[in-house]
Amino acid sequence: MQRLPIPTFQPRLKVLGREQALAIHTAALEILEKTGVKMEHAEAREMLVDAGARPFGDDWIRIPAWLAEEALATAPRQIALYDQNGNKTMPLVDDRFYYGTGSDTTFTLDLESGERRPCVLNDTGRFARLVDALENLSFVMSMSNPRDVAKIEFIYVYAFAEMLRNTGKPVVFIADRLEDMTVIHELAAMVAGGEEPLRRRPFLLNYSEAISPLRFPAQVVDKLMFCAKKEIPICLPSGSNAGGGAPVTLAGALAMGIAENLVGLIVHQLTQRGAPFLFGPNVSVLDMKSSVVSYGCPEWSLTQAALADMRDEIYGLPIWAFAGASDAKTVDAQAGAEAMFSIVTAMLARCNLIHDVGYLEYGSTSSLEMVAIADELIAMARHFTRGIPVNEETLALDALERVKNAGPKGIFLTDDHTFHHFETALFLPQLMDRSRYDAWAAEGARDLYRRSNNRVRDILASHRQTQPKDAALLESIEQRLAEL
Amino acid sequence: MDLSALSEAVIQGNIEKAKELTQQAVDAGEDPQILLDQGLIMAMDTVGENFAKGLLFVPQMLRSAKTMQECLAILQPHFQAGSVTSKGKIVLGTVKGDLHDIGKNLVAMMLEGAGFTVVDLGVDVAPEAFVKAVSEEHPNIVGMSALLSTTMPSMADTVRALSEAGLREAVQIMIGGAPVTAQYAEEIGADRYAPDAGSAVIKAKKLVASA
Repeated sequence: MQRLPIPTFQPRLKVLGREQALAIHTAALEILEKTGVKMEHAEAREMLVDAGARPFGDDWIRIPAWLAEEALATAPRQIALYDQNGNKTMPLVDDRFYYGTGSDTTFTLDLESGERRPCVLNDTGRFARLVDALENLSFVMSMSNPRDVAKIEFIYVYAFAEMLRNTGKPVVFIADRLEDMTVIHELAAMVAGGEEPLRRRPFLLNYSEAISPLRFPAQVVDKLMFCAKKEIPICLPSGSNAGGGAPVTLAGALAMGIAENLVGLIVHQLTQRGAPFLFGPNVSVLDMKSSVVSYGCPEWSLTQAALADMRDEIYGLPIWAFAGASDAKTVDAQAGAEAMFSIVTAMLARCNLIHDVGYLEYGSTSSLEMVAIADELIAMARHFTRGIPVNEETLALDALERVKNAGPKGIFLTDDHTFHHFETALFLPQLMDRSRYDAWAAEGARDLYRRSNNRVRDILASHRQTQPKDAALLESIEQRLAEL
Repeated sequence: MDLSALSEAVIQGNIEKAKELTQQAVDAGEDPQILLDQGLIMAMDTVGENFAKGLLFVPQMLRSAKTMQECLAILQPHFQAGSVTSKGKIVLGTVKGDLHDIGKNLVAMMLEGAGFTVVDLGVDVAPEAFVKAVSEEHPNIVGMSALLSTTMPSMADTVRALSEAGLREAVQIMIGGAPVTAQYAEEIGADRYAPDAGSAVIKAKKLVASA
């Protein structure tokens, strides 16, 4: 009888013990029950009170723990995100991970001049097109805060439409308030062929934020309830950054951020049971010198790995995460080191939806080059995370025997086994340079930033969407924008 | 009187010690204005410089500011009404539509620590509220903060409202917040852009000195 295949262990990072996870969860529930939150949305407040919460003071409310447990039980374990052609490309569940860009940077590094300059709408398009072409990036975000839109109050609508024009991948979007979110939903329904097909095969996910500590502004909750009703997947982190919006110690910041997330989840599930909610706060740190929220710190990687552990231990809901970002101002060694740190740990911890790839300057500047570099870093991390398949083919005793028997001329490079396996067994870099010195010098001694710049230029010049939208659809999107 | 021990206590953020020394000095009949200027504010100038040089972290700097405030509370009853001199007055707020206040609060605390009088209007402050505060408080500076790009236009609206009320020339305007840039400050006719709380203090000092 043949032996069963040996399962391949895939390296996995754990950062919390069960007792730690339970203690943080308990603290989060205690925050809901004892501290309470400021719920500034009248309808949501009433709904919570009807369900068993107790109002106090000025818009404050205390929420019993069982409401959180109930909401955790009714929210779906899997959020299946589709591409814009209706293919299920991002099942957010368990240990599945997907990387994509971020939103709202004020500046971008100009591809031609290398200068840091304010973002324009065309940048959103270029980032979307780049991501459309890159294999290891699964979804897009606007990556810019374009200043050249016709009506600033609809900035997110223009950004969303620009992404629709340039990619068929899933879109994670921002909206300012109910009004622009409604228009974005309309545009998405046009792409999906109607509201009902969009509901069944959502290609979009909203990112909204409560305000730490413990504050839920009315217009944020408006968006949350709209998404619940329309079943647009949504996440609702808050700025529960250690030392800024939250306690400086990571356990306290996590507990508070989770408490805030649970409140969002409760309101969401009370609005519509079973609507898709992506769990997870953003727990980075406030830098104690510059007071920026860091995107390169080790702490954020640690807290999101902790959240992945809590997902496995307790919550069962897919989680929101970040990676591939940096506080560096240019695409330098710091940028590479920080980006790789978060990319590899987010993957090893099995975070689910991982955004902000390509951020520089603590999220204030975006870089196309950085996105392309991160694409390769993700590929490296993925190769590592796949582990080492062990079987007769990979143990390759036959190949060894052949090489031995070939005598002095025997080398593995000429053996069939190498020819058949090298492309899967080995990581074959595209941007990471392993060329010999003389070849590298002859090519212009280009560093990673230069090489990535060239790659981005090539992609933007040559990439075509596999299933571009038809002209009539694009025209109707334009018409809707003209009505704003 | 040698105020170096008091200054040192403020710099160290040793609240108990600083309060004790302030009380002793007051009891000994020292001039509260001298205690304020040469003890507390000079200490905070040193703290501000050290922070700007990267020698201090934010919580240490804020601890010194808190120490200074507690000492000031001891001095307060000993000033003749209205005689206490401040470095200048600033009306501060997060602009209409924006509910974020951490950055704005940090700026307020640092300005107070540097000896400014701060009138904090809070968050979601409408242009009319800024206008009202300016006409009532007569500040040297109006400071506006925004975290959301969608609320940045409220800054321009406020500058316009101040102009329309005939108050634009009476104040210097300083703006800041994550999406705000020096270029934007120029576009909307603000006087200064401050990228962070530390530079807000430095720029406020310069604005007041140049006015």
